[in-house]
Amino acid sequence: MEGGKACAPSGVFAHLEMLEMQSHEAAVKQEEMEQQEEKLARLKATVQELRLQRDDLQAKVDLQQKGQLGKEGVVLPPAQPSARAVLEWKIKSLKAMLRLFYLTGISGKLTKKGVCFCISTAYEGTYLDSYYLDLLTEPEVQIYRHSVPIFIPLEEIAKKYLQTDIRRFLSVLSDHLNAYVQRRYQADQLQKHFSDQIEGKLQRNSLCDLLVFNYNVSRKSKTFLFKVRLLYGDLCCSLPTEAVVSCASDAPASVAEMAAAHSGLFRRVALHKAFRSFGSA
Amino acid sequence: MDSSIFQVYEDEIQSLEEEIKLLAEKYEDSQQESTFFSDEEILMSISSYQTEIEGHEFPSNLKAELETLETDLSFLMKFTGIQFTNHSKKTVEKTRNRTVQKHRLSGNCHSLSFRLDFQLLEMQNKENVSVVITDLSIIMESGEDSDVSKFVERAEECGNLLTFFRSFSSYAEWYEHRRCTFRHFKAKYPEIVTLPEGLLGDHIVLRNPSAPGFELMIVWKIHMDEEGTTIPVLDLLTKVPEKGLEQKMATIERAPSRFRSMLLLLGIEAAIDNLIKVVGSEK
Repeated sequence: MEGGKACAPSGVFAHLEMLEMQSHEAAVKQEEMEQQEEKLARLKATVQELRLQRDDLQAKVDLQQKGQLGKEGVVLPPAQPSARAVLEWKIKSLKAMLRLFYLTGISGKLTKKGVCFCISTAYEGTYLDSYYLDLLTEPEVQIYRHSVPIFIPLEEIAKKYLQTDIRRFLSVLSDHLNAYVQRRYQADQLQKHFSDQIEGKLQRNSLCDLLVFNYNVSRKSKTFLFKVRLLYGDLCCSLPTEAVVSCASDAPASVAEMAAAHSGLFRRVALHKAFRSFGSA
Repeated sequence: MDSSIFQVYEDEIQSLEEEIKLLAEKYEDSQQESTFFSDEEILMSISSYQTEIEGHEFPSNLKAELETLETDLSFLMKFTGIQFTNHSKKTVEKTRNRTVQKHRLSGNCHSLSFRLDFQLLEMQNKENVSVVITDLSIIMESGEDSDVSKFVERAEECGNLLTFFRSFSSYAEWYEHRRCTFRHFKAKYPEIVTLPEGLLGDHIVLRNPSAPGFELMIVWKIHMDEEGTTIPVLDLLTKVPEKGLEQKMATIERAPSRFRSMLLLLGIEAAIDNLIKVVGSEK
């Protein structure tokens, strides 16, 4: 009995405890539910708000375009613009004009101690890498920092022109950089579009002035392997000065002639364009 | 509650925010592109902006920014010789990673003017932005130089805007140099030097007033190959009266080739100067 007496209260306590815990859990759950509902409501409201904002903007843009269609050329601003708005317009248009210099190949901005030039490069209409040159102008012109690759003979070019003619210096450097980027671009294009004709790996050095690869040529349902070695002796040029194309010594004369013709083509036409012309021939 | 329901809303919020950002940019671009203020209006705004902000504590950042940009621009124009006088653009397509703009750009390079129309496609890749020029059309002032027209035609075909700018500025530099050289000699030897086509022509004529009928013509062309490399090419043409100079015929016949070697040895200015002195001393 004694044990039972002692047990009963503890059983009650345990029961009470459990009830308490349950109610606490329920409360927590309830709270969580409420929080989640709140969060959902908030999200819904945000979506609603953003949709409205989007529709407003869309309507504005549509109206703007309609207005421009109606009147050719200049559309006057609706009201007298504030001085601030005019200045902001001018700043934007100056920035746009400065950005255009990127297209000319040389852009830059004045720094506290000199000029930071940017040399842009392109292959035909496709703009490729840009390189930076931070020049100090006092007491004499010197290169403070730059992003020109190590294999471009920057020091040599600088020694020749930097002190006497900065324009010439940049122009020669730009010739080197453009030619390098163009050689690299041609090799990339070849790998990208004609890998099915290339046998094995295309080998090139970092300056891309030496390319070695093999490619297959089919003639009268037979396939011949041509070995190519392209040497770009003029570092300011994107076409090779030397193009050796060879085939197996037992290949028929017509195939050897073809190899010679390809060699001539590689010296005159960009690599990927030469391959494109094989495809169409 | 299923957490995926939150995801749905969160995704929509994100896509809406992107859409709004894009639309706002579109609106601003278009606003910018369709507006124009003259220099006068801008100057007026600068001064009224200044009075406007005088009462406030913050510095006139906008004005300082404007000045920096203007200094940068005038430095670049002076340095490259390329002046942009007019620029308009219109954004024809804009998505998150692709923008297409039509540009019209006119200006001059040294003393030669140009007008360009082109389409600029910008694509945002993972890390970098790629820029491609298409639909390039070039109108430029170069007389009727067939070399130049051939080069321009090729540049237009390939959208080769960078090469166009580089070659055109080198051409324009030579053009300017030729003009200055002709002007210099006309001023230095007014009796001997005549400019039949003026300073912008490609030749000068040398005459000795005391030897009528005897004429030397220096023709200075600026050649441009298909790649856009420019080189000056100078030649000497002679005109001799029928009688009286027989004993000098040999000398005169040799003059063009001697002039060419002089060019190589002394450079353009000194070679011409020497030649003029020789003509002037003829009696």
